[in-house]
Amino acid sequence: MPMPHAPMPLALTMGEPAGIGGEVALAAWAAMQSTGPVFFVIDDPRRLERLAHSLCHHVPIATIASPVEAAAVFATALPVLSIGTAIKSVPGRLDPAHAAAVVRAIEIAVAFAVEGAASAVVTNPIQKATLYAAGFKYPGHTEFLGHLAGGSRPPVMMLACPELRVVPVTVHQSLRSAIASLSTAVIIEQALTTADALRRDFGIAHPRLAVAGLNPHAGEGGAMGDEEARIIQPAIDALRVAGLSVVGPLPPDTMFTPRARPTYDVAICMYHDQALIPLKALDIDGGVNVTLGLDILRTSPDHGTALDIAGTGKAHPGSLIAALRMAAEMARRRVLAAQGLPPHSPI
Amino acid sequence: MAHDIRPKIALAMGDPCGISPELTAHLMASPAIREAMHLIVIGDVRVLSDGADIAKVAPTFEAVQTVDAIPQRAENHLFVDLGTLDPATITRGSASQAGGPFALANFRAALDLAKSGRVSAVTFTPFNKAAMRMADPAYDDEISFVARACGTTAPASEFNILDGLWNARVTSHIALKDVAERITTEAVLRGLQLTDASMRQAGYSTPRIALAALNPHGGDNGNFGREEIDILEPAVAAAKRGGLAVEGPFPADTVFVRAKAGQFDAVLTLYHDQGQIAMKLMGFDRGVTLLGGFPFPICTPAHGTAYEIAGKGIANTGAACAALLLAARLASHRARAAT
Repeated sequence: MPMPHAPMPLALTMGEPAGIGGEVALAAWAAMQSTGPVFFVIDDPRRLERLAHSLCHHVPIATIASPVEAAAVFATALPVLSIGTAIKSVPGRLDPAHAAAVVRAIEIAVAFAVEGAASAVVTNPIQKATLYAAGFKYPGHTEFLGHLAGGSRPPVMMLACPELRVVPVTVHQSLRSAIASLSTAVIIEQALTTADALRRDFGIAHPRLAVAGLNPHAGEGGAMGDEEARIIQPAIDALRVAGLSVVGPLPPDTMFTPRARPTYDVAICMYHDQALIPLKALDIDGGVNVTLGLDILRTSPDHGTALDIAGTGKAHPGSLIAALRMAAEMARRRVLAAQGLPPHSPI
Repeated sequence: MAHDIRPKIALAMGDPCGISPELTAHLMASPAIREAMHLIVIGDVRVLSDGADIAKVAPTFEAVQTVDAIPQRAENHLFVDLGTLDPATITRGSASQAGGPFALANFRAALDLAKSGRVSAVTFTPFNKAAMRMADPAYDDEISFVARACGTTAPASEFNILDGLWNARVTSHIALKDVAERITTEAVLRGLQLTDASMRQAGYSTPRIALAALNPHGGDNGNFGREEIDILEPAVAAAKRGGLAVEGPFPADTVFVRAKAGQFDAVLTLYHDQGQIAMKLMGFDRGVTLLGGFPFPICTPAHGTAYEIAGKGIANTGAACAALLLAARLASHRARAAT
C-alpha cells in the first residue's frame, strides 16, 4: 500500500487584532509544537512578538515567505506569514484602520487553500461591526468564504464537539425572522450539503440525520404550531427519497439527552439557540465551527473576539486547538481519498 | 410520638399502568420520607398492593375508605382507598383508558384536602396526559387543571428543579411563532417576581435569578431583534428596583452553563424548549417539577410514567423522593412563616 504524502500546513488567519486571536494562536502553538498538526498564522510577525513578550509567553516567531516553509520551523517557532502591514493594535480597543488587513488575511488564506499550498483555512474570530464600518458587505465569515470559494450550494455552518454535531438552518437573525424564513427548500439544501460533507470529510459512509421540530413537543400533531407538518416533514420525505437516513421532526427537548445523541450523526436544527444551547451545555470551550459545502476546508473556534479579556492571557486556546485538529483530520481524509485510500474511522 | 411536627402531605397515585404503583409503595415504606412527613396517600389499595409486590417492600399504613374518614391524628401514613380501580382491568406497561379517571380522582381528592387545609402540600406520581384528557376533555395541563380546581386566577408557573438549579418559563405549550408576541415587560416581570417569591418560600433568602434572552447572542445590540432592548431590559430594571437579585438578559446558549457553574440559583426562560433542552440534557429526569403560585405547593418527579420498565421493580425512586422532600420543606417553611 502506498504511503500517503504529508498534507500541507493549515493556514490560520489573524482575525480581529484587538481580540484574543493572537494570544490563543501563541498558546495553541505552545501546546502543539511537538505534536502538530503544522499551521502558520497570516499576521504581522512583529505584533505577535510584542504580544508574546507582553504576555511572558516564550513563543519564538519565525517569519516565513511561503506556506511550504512552515513545516521545517514549526517544532521550534510559530511560523508567521506576513500580512504586509504593520498592525499596531491595542487589546480590547477596536480600530477600523485594521479592517482591510483582517479581510486580506482571510483572502490570502483562502487563496493558499484553493491552490493547494494550505490544506485548510482556520479562522480566528472577527469583529463584524468594525468590518461593516470599513465597507465589508458580507454578513459574516461564512458568507464571505462562500463568495471566495463557494461550491454549487450555499455554505452551511456546522458546530461540532466530541459528543454532538449540529447544523442550525437559520443562524444570525432574530427568532421572529428565523421562524419566518424557515422553508422546506432550505432544510433540504442544508441537509444534503451536510450529508455530503459527513461522507467526504468525516468518514461517515451512511450519515444518520436527526431533524428537530420547531415547536414544543414537535407541535404535538399540530396542537402547537403547524411548521412540522407544513415545512419540516416534506423536507424529511424528500431527503428520504434522495436515499438519506433521516428521523424527525423530533421533539427538540428530548433529542439531545445522553440516550438520544448516539442514535444520529448530526442534528439539523431550526434556529440558532436550538443548536447552540445543547452544544454549549456539552462543551463550552472545545466546540468547533465547520463550514460545509465550500471547495476548501474551513474550521474556526466557536467563540468570539472576547475583547473584555483580550491581552490578559486568560483566553483558553482549547477551541482553537480543536478547530486546528479537526481541520487537519478532514484534510488527511481528503489526501487519502485523492490517493484512492480508504478513509479512517469517523472523527 | 410526643408531638408530631411533621407536615401532612397528600400523595395522589398517578397512572396505574406505569411505575406509579411501585413508586408509591417505595415512598410509603421509605424511612427518610416517614421521618420528614406524614403521608396521606390517595388511590386504590389493590393497586398499591401490586406495587408493593413489585417493589418488594411492605409499607405499613392505616386505610380509610373516604377522605372524610381521615382521623385528625395518626402515627402511621394514611391510605385513602377510593376503590375506583381493579388492577385486573388494566394492562401494565401501556396506556389504558381506565388509568385516566383513576389518576384524576386521586388528584382531585388530594387538591380538595389541601384546599380545606387538611394537608399542607400535594404531590403525585407521574400522570399520562392523554389518559387524563380522555377522562376529562377540559384537561389541558396540570397548571390549568389546578387553577380550575382551586378557583385561582393568580399567576402560576411550573418550576423544574435539578441539583439545586431552578428553571421557570414565561410561555410554555404554545407555537414558537406565538412566543414573541407573548413576551411583554409585564409578563417577564411577573415571571421574575413569581420565581423570586417561590424560591423565598423554599428557603432562599435572596435567590439569584438570570433572565434568558429571546434572540441569538442576546440580539447582538439590536442587530438580531430588539426584544432584549425594548422588553427584557426594562423588565430586569423594574425587578431590580423592586429589590430582586436579577441579571440579564443573557444569551440563551450560555446562561445555563453559567447557572450550572453556580453563578445563579434560577434561570427564567422565555419559551418551552429554551429551558427544557438544557435541563433534559443535564439529566432533568432526576429532577423535580414544582407548580408554584397556588395557595399550597404541588410537587412531582420530572420523569414520566416509564411504561417500558413498569412492573420490573427497577424504577429509580430518587426523583420521587426529592419531590416529596421538597413539598415537605416548602410546607414547613410556609408554616414557620405563618406563625
